Amino acid sequence: MIEKLALIQPEIVLFITTCVVMVIGLSRTYSVRKACATVSGVGIAIAGVLAIFTPQTDSALLPGLIPYAKTLVAGVGLLLLLLLSGVIDRDLELRVTRGEAFEPARANRGEFYSFFLFSLTGVMLCATADDLIWLFLALELASLPTYVMVAISTPRLRSQEAAVKYFFLGAFGAATFLYGFALIYGATGTTYLSEIRDIIGTDGLGAIGTAGFALALLGIAFKIAAVPMHFYTPDVYEGAATPVAAYLAFAPKAAGFLAFLLLTSTIGWTWGANGDALPDAIRVILWIMAALTMTIGNVLALLQTSVKRMLAYSSVAHSGYMLVGIVVGPGDGSFWQNGLSAMLFYLLCYGFMNMGAFAVLACVERMTGPDGEPIELETLDDIRGLCHTHPVMGWSMVLSALSLLGLPPLLGFMGKLLLVTAGLSGGEYLLVVVLLLNSAVAAFYYLRIVAGAMFEAPDARAGDGVLTTHRGRMIAAVASAASVVVLLPFVGPLVRASQRAVALQPTTAIVTMSEEVSDASPLVRVDDDVTQDR
Amino acid sequence: MLEAISPMLTLAAADAGAQEGLRASLLVLVFPLLASIACGLCAVFGVKSKLPAWITVGALAASFVVTLMIWGQAGHNTFIAHGYEWITLAWGDGPGQQLVANLSLYIDSLTLLWMLFVTGLATLIALYASEYMSHDVGPGYCRFFAYFSLFVFSMACLVMGDNLLLLYLGWEGVGLCSYLLIGYFYTKPSAVAAAKKAFIVNRIGDLGLALGIFSVFVTFGTVEFAPLFEMLREGVDGAGAPLAGSWQATWIPVFFMIGAFGKSAQFPLYVWLPDAMEGPTPVSALIHAATMVTAGVYLIARMMPLYLLDGTHFALALVAWGGGITALLAATIGMAQFDIKRIMAYSTVSQLGFMFAGLGVLTSAGAAFHVFTHAFFKATLFLCCGAVMHGFAGQLDLRKLSGVGFMKGWGIVGIAMFIGCLNLAGFPFTAGYFSKDMILAQTFATPGYAMLGWVLLLTAGITAYYTFRVFFRVFVGPKLYEPGDEHHGDDNHSHDHDHAHEDFHPHPPGWAINSVLALLAVLSIAAAATYFINKPDHGWVGSMVHNSTADVTSPHEGTFLGMDPHKAMYYVSAIVGFIGIAIAFMLHYVGRRTSEKANADKLLPAVGPVATWAQGKWYIDELYDAVIRQPLLVLSHVFHIVDKLLVDGLVNLFGRLPTMTARALRPSQNGVLQSYAAGMAAGLVFVLLVVWALL
Repeated sequence: MIEKLALIQPEIVLFITTCVVMVIGLSRTYSVRKACATVSGVGIAIAGVLAIFTPQTDSALLPGLIPYAKTLVAGVGLLLLLLLSGVIDRDLELRVTRGEAFEPARANRGEFYSFFLFSLTGVMLCATADDLIWLFLALELASLPTYVMVAISTPRLRSQEAAVKYFFLGAFGAATFLYGFALIYGATGTTYLSEIRDIIGTDGLGAIGTAGFALALLGIAFKIAAVPMHFYTPDVYEGAATPVAAYLAFAPKAAGFLAFLLLTSTIGWTWGANGDALPDAIRVILWIMAALTMTIGNVLALLQTSVKRMLAYSSVAHSGYMLVGIVVGPGDGSFWQNGLSAMLFYLLCYGFMNMGAFAVLACVERMTGPDGEPIELETLDDIRGLCHTHPVMGWSMVLSALSLLGLPPLLGFMGKLLLVTAGLSGGEYLLVVVLLLNSAVAAFYYLRIVAGAMFEAPDARAGDGVLTTHRGRMIAAVASAASVVVLLPFVGPLVRASQRAVALQPTTAIVTMSEEVSDASPLVRVDDDVTQDR
Repeated sequence: MLEAISPMLTLAAADAGAQEGLRASLLVLVFPLLASIACGLCAVFGVKSKLPAWITVGALAASFVVTLMIWGQAGHNTFIAHGYEWITLAWGDGPGQQLVANLSLYIDSLTLLWMLFVTGLATLIALYASEYMSHDVGPGYCRFFAYFSLFVFSMACLVMGDNLLLLYLGWEGVGLCSYLLIGYFYTKPSAVAAAKKAFIVNRIGDLGLALGIFSVFVTFGTVEFAPLFEMLREGVDGAGAPLAGSWQATWIPVFFMIGAFGKSAQFPLYVWLPDAMEGPTPVSALIHAATMVTAGVYLIARMMPLYLLDGTHFALALVAWGGGITALLAATIGMAQFDIKRIMAYSTVSQLGFMFAGLGVLTSAGAAFHVFTHAFFKATLFLCCGAVMHGFAGQLDLRKLSGVGFMKGWGIVGIAMFIGCLNLAGFPFTAGYFSKDMILAQTFATPGYAMLGWVLLLTAGITAYYTFRVFFRVFVGPKLYEPGDEHHGDDNHSHDHDHAHEDFHPHPPGWAINSVLALLAVLSIAAAATYFINKPDHGWVGSMVHNSTADVTSPHEGTFLGMDPHKAMYYVSAIVGFIGIAIAFMLHYVGRRTSEKANADKLLPAVGPVATWAQGKWYIDELYDAVIRQPLLVLSHVFHIVDKLLVDGLVNLFGRLPTMTARALRPSQNGVLQSYAAGMAAGLVFVLLVVWALL
């Protein structure tokens, strides 16, 4: 057991930081309270560095996934932290500066940052999970704090309504996948993922096992906002403060996709005619889920006039794209055939470019709230002519939107390219056609954003649109938008890292259990290929 | 630069096939390219002086000097000057599975021959243009010289490239520059139309060249000249199988011929060249007379081993007759035109026909020699016409100009024109006489082409007639002139007079134009002297060709009415030339001082409608319009309607589909928690159904 602690060092660091933040958030001294963000940042940075040096392990199903996912989460987490600056306790601090006494009981700062860190911890724990119970707890740790974050992100009623919806529907999803987990346990008699895999390898999946995995994947689909669990997305994103929406669009999704990776790896891609596919029932469910998610997400985004809702639907659509990678599976492990590494790489691209778009929205505000409180800009009209009024923000938005659209040679294109090549080499031609048609549909609304920001005259009201005073948000916006260009030269190394991340655990553990499986498994070859690549 | 070349001297000593070396020759490409960029920058920075002209003249002169030095170093050896790796694609190790096209130069005597007159003439004509284009100083001036330098760069790529891909790059490059320069006066609709016509007609030829290059790669597995010629020497394809009698041996040369006919304005693709005279005259002289239009001749000469592969010489027969027909057709049109630049354009088409006939009847030396001499005398003729046009406000109608050669300050123009005309007419002991003779004689010497010989002989007579028609009309006789419509300087005064041109004073050419004309006239004469260097090889040009891949063995079997054609032709062509000049003298000089009309005009009614038809260019343009353009136009309208109704309709339908779907799905996002949960539950049921169905 003790060697497992070495694997979760980053989580431990984050947990300690959480405790510190929870305490100092209550301080009566403004500068100490203020330090919450800094302390969190330091904690995340340390966790990220530790994640890189995670020791190799045999007990995890996908050992390479642990450092990759945790480093990614820490990196994007830092940007999110910057973006979250100034979200919480805005009016409270305003009243304190007017001379009112600080009441710790009414302050939310400590909770907000600690929930943020808890949620990140949950995402990281998902990557480490080697057990169904652990996976369930990790997923819920990633999600539960976000319900609260949505509720307290703005003082408006809308946020609370969103949080309630999010909570109830989230409970529905959690119940679904927990029931699935229970069925898997019932079918195999164990909760350890590698043991489950070995038992499935020898005894087959069975009706109960299939139903269990189907329900588990469906329940987790809530986290990634895939059809049919996507309904909450626009309402919740719209209700939450924009930085929190950006967080929702990344962290729970990352957790969900990590869980998807683990669960599908547990089933193994050895069920198709060529020994390179999931069992029919699971594959069909995922296939339909992917196709519907892309289509419904994009199609509903078309009608939106609120950029925030548009981005919410677009995040649904991007989940659909990533599901294509899961449907295809690892192929022969080479980078253009490996759907899993393509999916992981796309998650990375999506993390940056999606945050760029949300961050720009969070940066531009209008000071005409009824109670003098700044309101976020969120309609298409609000960002008209942004390139002229606020060039840096405008161009950040344009870059992010074009990358989301998948315009060559930006990062989004690279990600989509790999998904497409993986889909084609996996024989999923129809799904690839659906993906490409969806890209065309998506171009319509992304280009509306781009054209509005670049070519149209600023809205008459935009005159009072001002940049936020929070420098952190602007840094987050510019950094995310820049990364869609800056990361381009590093696409090769990043893709190779993604490949290593999805390589299955070394074969020794399997050989002892069942030799036939290890021989038949294409995943063994994956590992070899990756070794050669290095 | 000498230091750069000297190590290659040792290489040159070793006589082998193609050897690496002479990298300094890359400078021939670099100078014009840099000049083009510099002129472009001048345009950006708004230079309003003659700076671009001097940059261009300097760079082109440097290129010429480098070419001269390479010529001195290379001797008759073949070199490959490696620049850098340009395209390397490999999809296997087998033959034909690699495509290598480097930016390297293939330097042999043929290359050098072409580059010497291209860079030399380009330098002189750039100098001429510095004065000729002076009314346009400013952005237009920069633009002109940027295109001009770019043309020389492209031409160098075409001629010097060591592979067909680089040749194609140059081929398209010169086509582009030609298009840009014909359309230089882009506010003039006729210039724009001419530019488009030139570009489109050239595309048809380019298709042939592209097909040829594709077939070469498919057949030989390479587009590089050195290995290609190696295989052609053996007569085998890339896999080592003999090629004689295969479809490739017959058709690849035909493909290249189509390309050559497009670029060199041969029947039926010649129609663009006369219209190309809409460009500034220096452009007509350099691109559309001396250099670019000879690219087709170069292509066939360069690929000569490919043409000899087929024992029946099918493609060569096409080349010969294509050239012969073009020569006669263009000459007859030239007889009836009134615009002196257009006459020169048709004479260029006609002379190019001679060159192709020469290639076809297996005297590549004669063809190359005619290219060489023609480059000088035709440039001279064009530049003289340009000087007249420049001095008389765009007047080019030979009915409205007379006695120009005797006006004050026009002496050099008159003399240069006279020398050019003598050359074109093939007057004895001029360069044009020797080069045309070589081709004429060979048509009779090669069995089966006697008929072509008579056609060309007739053409030679017509050529002499129309050439001196221009000379006797415009440059001698009573001094009369009517300025052209580009004269705006004295508008305020001219309104008071009945004859606007009474206030007009033709301005004679300045030093740049005069010195270039004088030099070119001298060079036109000097070109004749090269015929006596290396006489057994048919002159210096012959020896250059002889030492390249264009070398062919000319047959000596046929006779001219029982005589040795090579000896007889000296006299026959001289007599034919005299007859042509004499007729021109009788019809266009005699009696012009005493009568309003020239004798020729009195004769017109006698020949009936033929003259009108010739003046109408035999209505070939109209024929193309009716047979090709109109049907295409109708077809395009049909497709336009199909596109509008069917394709656009489908696209719009698909465009609406997502929005319609969205409207249908929108109610599902009603914000009500219960209905969301119901939706998720429905999904759950669906998933379980799938599991149940597929187990």
